[in-house]
Amino acid sequence: MLETLPATGRAAAAPGRLSRAAPFVAAAVAALALWIAPLFLDTFAVNVLTRSMIYAVLAVTVDLLWGFAGILTFGQAAFFGGGAYAAAMILSAYGATPMGIALALATAIAAPALLGLVVGWLSFYHRSTPLYASVISLVVPIVVVQLIYAGGAWTGSSSGLVGFDVLPFEIEGYFRLAALVLITVTLAAWILVRSDAGRALVALRDNEARCAYLGLNPRRLQIVLTAALAAVAGFAGFLFANASGVVAPENAGFLFGTELVIWVALGGRGTLLGPVLGTIAIDYLSANLSGDLPFLWRLLLGTAFVAIIILLPGGLADLVLRLWRAFPIGRSGHAAPAIAEREAETEPVAADTPILQVRGLAKAYGSLTVLEAIDLEIRAGELVSLVGPNGAGKTTLMRCLSDGTEPFTGSIAIAGTALAGLTPNRIVGLGVGRKFQVASVFESLSVADCLRLARASRDGLSPVGRAATLSLPQAALDVLRMTGLDHRLDQPARLLSHGQKQALELAMVVALEPRLILLDEPTAGLTKAERATIGRVLKGLTAGGRIAAVLVEHDLDFVREISSRIVVLHQGRLVLDGTVEAVVGSELVRTIYAGGAHG
Amino acid sequence: MLLILDILTTAAILFIVSIGLLAIFGVLKIINFAHGAWLTVGAYCAVVTAKIGLNPWLALPLAFVVGAALGGLAEHFLIRPLYRRPLDAILATWGLGIVVGQLITLAFGRDVQLTPNLLAGTVEILGVDYSAYRLVALGIALAIGTLFALTVERTRLGLSARAVIMNETLARSLGIDTGRVRLIVFMIGAGFAALAGVLLTPLTSVDPNMGVSWLIGAFMLVMVADASYRALAAACLVFGAAQVLISTFVSPILGSVAIAVLAALVLRISPKGFSRA
Repeated sequence: MLETLPATGRAAAAPGRLSRAAPFVAAAVAALALWIAPLFLDTFAVNVLTRSMIYAVLAVTVDLLWGFAGILTFGQAAFFGGGAYAAAMILSAYGATPMGIALALATAIAAPALLGLVVGWLSFYHRSTPLYASVISLVVPIVVVQLIYAGGAWTGSSSGLVGFDVLPFEIEGYFRLAALVLITVTLAAWILVRSDAGRALVALRDNEARCAYLGLNPRRLQIVLTAALAAVAGFAGFLFANASGVVAPENAGFLFGTELVIWVALGGRGTLLGPVLGTIAIDYLSANLSGDLPFLWRLLLGTAFVAIIILLPGGLADLVLRLWRAFPIGRSGHAAPAIAEREAETEPVAADTPILQVRGLAKAYGSLTVLEAIDLEIRAGELVSLVGPNGAGKTTLMRCLSDGTEPFTGSIAIAGTALAGLTPNRIVGLGVGRKFQVASVFESLSVADCLRLARASRDGLSPVGRAATLSLPQAALDVLRMTGLDHRLDQPARLLSHGQKQALELAMVVALEPRLILLDEPTAGLTKAERATIGRVLKGLTAGGRIAAVLVEHDLDFVREISSRIVVLHQGRLVLDGTVEAVVGSELVRTIYAGGAHG
Repeated sequence: MLLILDILTTAAILFIVSIGLLAIFGVLKIINFAHGAWLTVGAYCAVVTAKIGLNPWLALPLAFVVGAALGGLAEHFLIRPLYRRPLDAILATWGLGIVVGQLITLAFGRDVQLTPNLLAGTVEILGVDYSAYRLVALGIALAIGTLFALTVERTRLGLSARAVIMNETLARSLGIDTGRVRLIVFMIGAGFAALAGVLLTPLTSVDPNMGVSWLIGAFMLVMVADASYRALAAACLVFGAAQVLISTFVSPILGSVAIAVLAALVLRISPKGFSRA
């Protein structure tokens, strides 16, 4: 099945053995150091640092959401407070019996996770904006705090809960427990963000639309992430309630939520150690300095925060990394995976069912009719060019074919399945791949990672590691080879030229193994040679007789060269549909293009 | 009757507090989380006016000028570098709010300040005794709303601002100095916020963190209004009514989160909020 091709570019073998084990070694050393640390610290420091480390666990969750997945959240405080209150309330009622502790722990994790699911559902929906998610994350802590106030004797109202039974640990024990939890959570987060699934988080931040058009469900990813990290925050709350023996409404409040964001920003969003060390350092310093210079300390912190946001968005970690990179030692770099070919998986459509069937399609924006009475049938093996002057409705038609939530009338069916109401990711599941007019790739990911995400809806992504091979269908490999991208697998997509980005996006769409490929001006802005390459690829793809392609194109020479059929749109209507000769020779096309397009 | 007056005056106060934030969000597309700080600055202008023994109403122009001046500085040094990073702008303005709050604390201490009442007593209206000041606030809200509407609809600045709201690139290519429009709008927004701070002093205690409690409500109202002052007025009425009714008949605690929760739900259902109507 999988025949591994010779690794291209740099050899992917030896480097990295040691560096892969390094984080585990570092974690073990850190655990050991923190285990013996209480022997050398005074009681005050042990107490404060225990709290700081619990806060650092929260900072890791905020960082995963904001720094990696691009969701600015103030809501982690609510989940933390929820967990802390759940623990405190249950421990107050049942005491620190094994039963009580187990129940407290389970509730402190499950309740925030459930709340996280609700919040995720509220925050993320088709066409929701990042700003809206942040708005919800603001509202949640406010509501939770008011619920705490309204809770009367249950929640202790504004004075919080004290004097409940806690786990039978000394303060050193709590310190060590917090340290172990922090190290475990950080290590798990490290493994996640380095894994293939971690790339999906970054992809979500970079380009949510492309994720959806690769068949991934951005909503589900975001909701699952929110709920899972809510559970982690709830667990941190459980620890906090036990270690401090007191919970108060401020622990769940919006202000605490903003503080978490400040710590992460100062430490360095998008890195893991930055927020962890930043949180511990700032919280520890706060505890020490707020006694002597309370207002001045917060003033300094606020000023530093503003300065960092404006001047150094990557935080202090970014500064350290820049200095580190200035030393030319120990550079390993990411080895590109070996690419392999895989057999085609697309099941051919039954010969009598058209791949695309459009009946009576009409679309209007208010009183402006953009499309009307469009009937179109496309079968496997066809390469249909959609031509027409600007404003004819070509791109709108493409949008209707790939996003069923666009309001339109009439019917569109892919291989017999109606797509009205379906979100883009589900339409990808039906076998539609869409290439946008402006190349839409994941700018901060490498070429290989972009391609791997294109396969994710079929092959899945590992949440713990990176696959050593990247297996792609033959057609996608052809695109890579013809455009030389196979030698650039380890390069970040943002460094590619315009033409290479177009080729990469085409390879990604082809890697989806669609039945129907939609291409919106795939050759715009490309050189003659690049154009010819894309033409060859498209002809090769459809020649097999399994796939159909629809492309919007202005270059009539190109269209004439590659198409099996041409459809002409004019003022929202389908005015011509026929073979290349029939359409290109027709008087109507000459009139529409004012006789100027070609000689 | 009392209920209706409560609803109207609550809506009026919400409108006064949010209008500055709306102006900034509409034109700059930036959520100004320093809004709470401007409110606080305005309230402390009232404190200062009282300390040097001036007529308390003089605090209004003073607050507007101070707010606009600080707003101008903030726009120039903080907001301008962040136009392309709107989420970061939220954070930077929040940080600015912390800084302003701490500076006020350093100067005045963190205790609650007393301010002279702008207008004491009650008046009898339609059979009930009602706080005279709240009624005046209603009048002021209407005045501010009218002034705002006239500025938007009738002046050159308003025209430029609407052009920037609709299509900034086009506005710029037509020769509108969009940078200047942004600066002026930010100054006016901050000025209005400080003005609102003065007007809040008879209704709430004045302390360095007073702005934060008003910020979230104003922010949610503006999100729902989406850059339209008419929609903002409608939102203030509807959510103000909801707040008063829930506080009166259900529980004051639920009433205090009514605006935030209802606004979030409205946005979930209709992302453009009230501005479509």
